[in-house]
Amino acid sequence: MSKALTMNATDLSAAAPRLPTDWKGDAIKKRIAARYGSERRFRAIGLFAVMLSAGFLAFLLITMMANGLRGFTQTEIRLAVDFPKSALMLDPAALKGFNADQALAGADFEGATATAAEVAFGPDGVHLLSDAAWLKVRDAVKADPGLLARRAEIWVPAAVDIDVAAKETGEPAAEATLAKLKAQGLIKTGFNLGFVTGADSTDPTIVGIWGAFKGSLMTMLVTLVLAFPVGVLAALYLEEYAPRNRWTDLIEVSINNLAAVPSIIFGLLGLAVFLNFMHMPRSAPIVGGLTLALMTMPVIVIAGRNAIKSVPPSIRDAALGIGASRLQVVFHHVLPLALPGILTGTIIGMARALGETAPLLMIGMRAFISSPPSGFTDPATVLPVQVFLWSDEVSRGFVEKTSAAIIVLLLFLLAMNGLAIYLRNHFERRW
Amino acid sequence: MSSSILLLLILGLGGVAFIAARARANLFQPIDGRRAHSRPNYHGSYVLLWAVAPALLFLTVWSFVSPGLVMQTVLTAPAASQLPPPGMERDSVIAEMQGLADGSVATAFNPAAEQLLPAYKIAARHYSMIATVAALLLAFAGGGYAYTRLSHGFRARTRVERVMMAVLLGASLIAILTTFGIVASLLFESLRFFSKVSPIEFLFGIEWSPQTAMRADQVGSSGAFGAVPLFWGTVFIGAIIAMIVAIPLGLMSAIYLTQYARPKVRQWMKPLLEILAGVPTVVYGYFAALTVAPHIRDFAMSIGITSASSESALAAGAVMGVMIIPFVSSMADDSLTAVPQAMRDGSLAMGATTSETIRKVLVPAALPGVVGGVLLAVSRAIGETMIVVMAAGLAANMTLNPFASVTTVTTQIVQLLTGDQEFDSAKTLAAFALGLVLFLVTLLLNVIALRVVKKYREAYE
Repeated sequence: MSKALTMNATDLSAAAPRLPTDWKGDAIKKRIAARYGSERRFRAIGLFAVMLSAGFLAFLLITMMANGLRGFTQTEIRLAVDFPKSALMLDPAALKGFNADQALAGADFEGATATAAEVAFGPDGVHLLSDAAWLKVRDAVKADPGLLARRAEIWVPAAVDIDVAAKETGEPAAEATLAKLKAQGLIKTGFNLGFVTGADSTDPTIVGIWGAFKGSLMTMLVTLVLAFPVGVLAALYLEEYAPRNRWTDLIEVSINNLAAVPSIIFGLLGLAVFLNFMHMPRSAPIVGGLTLALMTMPVIVIAGRNAIKSVPPSIRDAALGIGASRLQVVFHHVLPLALPGILTGTIIGMARALGETAPLLMIGMRAFISSPPSGFTDPATVLPVQVFLWSDEVSRGFVEKTSAAIIVLLLFLLAMNGLAIYLRNHFERRW
Repeated sequence: MSSSILLLLILGLGGVAFIAARARANLFQPIDGRRAHSRPNYHGSYVLLWAVAPALLFLTVWSFVSPGLVMQTVLTAPAASQLPPPGMERDSVIAEMQGLADGSVATAFNPAAEQLLPAYKIAARHYSMIATVAALLLAFAGGGYAYTRLSHGFRARTRVERVMMAVLLGASLIAILTTFGIVASLLFESLRFFSKVSPIEFLFGIEWSPQTAMRADQVGSSGAFGAVPLFWGTVFIGAIIAMIVAIPLGLMSAIYLTQYARPKVRQWMKPLLEILAGVPTVVYGYFAALTVAPHIRDFAMSIGITSASSESALAAGAVMGVMIIPFVSSMADDSLTAVPQAMRDGSLAMGATTSETIRKVLVPAALPGVVGGVLLAVSRAIGETMIVVMAAGLAANMTLNPFASVTTVTTQIVQLLTGDQEFDSAKTLAAFALGLVLFLVTLLLNVIALRVVKKYREAYE
């Protein structure tokens, strides 16, 4: 550029005195119009890029919502079961005593339900019901043993194809059956309580997310308990006390690198160290929590250091000046003032850990777990892994369940990020 | 006594020690008008530390030592005389016996395990008794010793603070320990892998089929570990397709939001775009596999590409690109705003339009920062797992066709390590070798990116 300018200058000195620019001339007008045109185009491209990116987000969320909201509802069929006539050899009195569960387990509810379905809906009747319909019948009997003495009508979950037909367009055959059932008033679609309280299953009509959700909560608890104190203490040390030397540099470099290491590497670490070296139980929330804690800690350290750095030195000087020790300065003054910032960073780090799947696959949390974990060493699964597992299922009924689980996961992340923003806006002080 | 009760007991003792010591320190009267050196709480904490720390330390060490001691006693018991000689068989009997003892095994397969059980139970109870008594003695002795030292001039605060400093240092050392753990575990397993498969073959071989043969005559189970197709797939999806999506969108978004948008719009749009980075990757993977991939395949079919796979590189790469947009845009945002205002003003004053200023002055000035951001984004993209596991294929192809299926390093790590695995097979160890390569490459990219960004920042400060 400068070369061009000097060349112009020498040209000018050699040539005749330069005429003033003719701003009204056609050539100039055209040039300005072209330049303004390109300005408008550039701006439009920029706006388009922003809109496209936001559009992707909207499209993603809308797709998930559209697929997932149906996952919270369930189609049920009213099944008339004539208990006295059924093959169920069950004495109502047996259900009152200590052996109630044993008596229930021994009775052939599956057969009784199939017979009832055949009586009600014809020879193919049993295919209208979910494979798990007999569980509902059993639960109904358990709740009210008096049913055994009479004919009762019980709402049981419909089979997957009926369920799909009721919520969207399904197979023509299923649609026809559905229309027939509807005409008889035998069908209803309502909120699926089982989805919120149940655990994983092979049958999409009775799966639930509580098992995975509880696993997530336990894993997150372990992560928080380990990563938060260690992260905060490390941040305090590095920011307030660490001497500037090679060791401190090494710590800083490794923390910054750990924050950028792909999450799957932490999974490999967990597999090699916690499972194969320390022989901890596979698939357990404690191992998942440990692995995620190692991943979350650098995030907390970095956020914590920034928060501590923003506390003005005058506060430290004032505290030192009235006789506080260096430790008192930090724990009585700096830490409380930096805490909102640290908490914001912690919540963001925890939100990332909550959505993390890959490292947990490595430590075996992808097993099929049909009951919620009751302890930190029980096999468990977590929400994102549950999404992954369901997305692999072939049955069409799992599509909406997967999206519904995603909605729950996203809502939780949204709540956590909202909390972080609230903390930032209301408690973080700017000096 | 179970270990959790013992732990609670020791902590309870610590609490009692704290309260007692604080009460005693409260009674210290000023001497010559000078108050005691340390506040009562520090005296309390000092005694608490002495009561709890040695006992807990002992229990930690004991938990490593005691299984060996118990086993030794059990093996000298008369019932152990019929045990098989040391080796696999004996280990399995012992493992079964331990299972019986903690209730995880209902009935023993091996009768020897059942016979050994009483001896084991007695030995275990014996040693846990020793541990309990020793730990409680240590707690009492430590607390008592510390309590006798308290006095008006005793520097309890200094000592407590010294311990706190050690705890702080220890916390920050965990980061080094983690890094060391990652490097050590990856290196160790990779070395074992490289003793089976030569590094040359791994790094430069072009055939990847990790299924080792069950039988010698099995077809298609050659067990080839040439990782080049994986590297290509990773680069193709993460560094080419994803970046073709992310760089223009991210850069133009950053330019629009920093240079054109009104502050109110910027204030809302920036966090909105950052949500894209906060969505869990498994959600993107599901979205890519279920919504994007079928459309891309249909599109490819309609333009006459019959070989289009439903697990195309394009679906995984494009969705990954969307995920990466906020990384690129926030790095570009930072470096654009870091360009000195004088340069922008100078260009505008010379009569350049805003877009000319951006293209000819701001972007060239911010380029190092943008490049750094792109490198970070690439390192993020090649380490990304769930999108490729769910949307990219498993076939190790070396192809330039974006509608074909390719596989990546992370997909293969997941594939090799899930399902049935034996820990010593080359198949399992290969995952660690791939992990090592991934770790080194992302590390290198991060170091270069940070260096570029740092250099650039210095230029304008």
